[in-house]
Amino acid sequence: MNNIILATCCVMLSAAVPAFAGDPAAGQKKSQTCVACHGPDGNSQAADFPKIAGQHHDYLVKALKDYKSGARKNPIMAPMAANLTVRDIEDLAAYYSSQKGLVLKY
Amino acid sequence: MTRLDVLRISTFVIAVASAPALLAADGDPAAGKAKNSMCVGCHGIGGYKTVFPEVYSVPKIGGQHAAYIVKALQEYKSGNRSHPSMRAIAASLSDKDMADLAAYYASDAMKAAAK
Repeated sequence: MNNIILATCCVMLSAAVPAFAGDPAAGQKKSQTCVACHGPDGNSQAADFPKIAGQHHDYLVKALKDYKSGARKNPIMAPMAANLTVRDIEDLAAYYSSQKGLVLKY
Repeated sequence: MTRLDVLRISTFVIAVASAPALLAADGDPAAGKAKNSMCVGCHGIGGYKTVFPEVYSVPKIGGQHAAYIVKALQEYKSGNRSHPSMRAIAASLSDKDMADLAAYYASDAMKAAAK
């Protein structure tokens, strides 16, 4: 019984989250400042900068939000993320997650 | 941010980047494969999400730069980057383990680029 209640709550919670996924084309237009380090499509050429092409949308959103809030500390990314709106973050994540690059590896 | 600022940051970052890149070059992909049993339960399952402390997709690391993987692991180990599971796992890794794991996960870069 408890499991049924828990499952119902989970379904209700997930339904309450808005399904806004961002606009990849808008994200590409907003990505000029990202290109210098992460490359034009998110496949960075410099080994110290992570590739972000093909990364999960929600992980990119989380990373940018954490840089913005200061939960994740990085002297380069902090000022970049500080100026982004929630909409910008969603659009950028939509753009980079739609590019080919990173893969799932077992 | 001006163009000059971008140039300064880029120069700084490239200088910083070259150090771990040398370390990562020492990694052995085959040895990394043999050490990744702690990684696959989350990073090796398609669509897998963390449930603690927040819910989000576990990042893809196949094809990532080896130097960046080493840097991320070192930051988890030192505590500069916070994630309870990753901190615990990274704390158990030696520099050699990190280099080997990074070499293993980075070794798909060519395959990834061709897709």
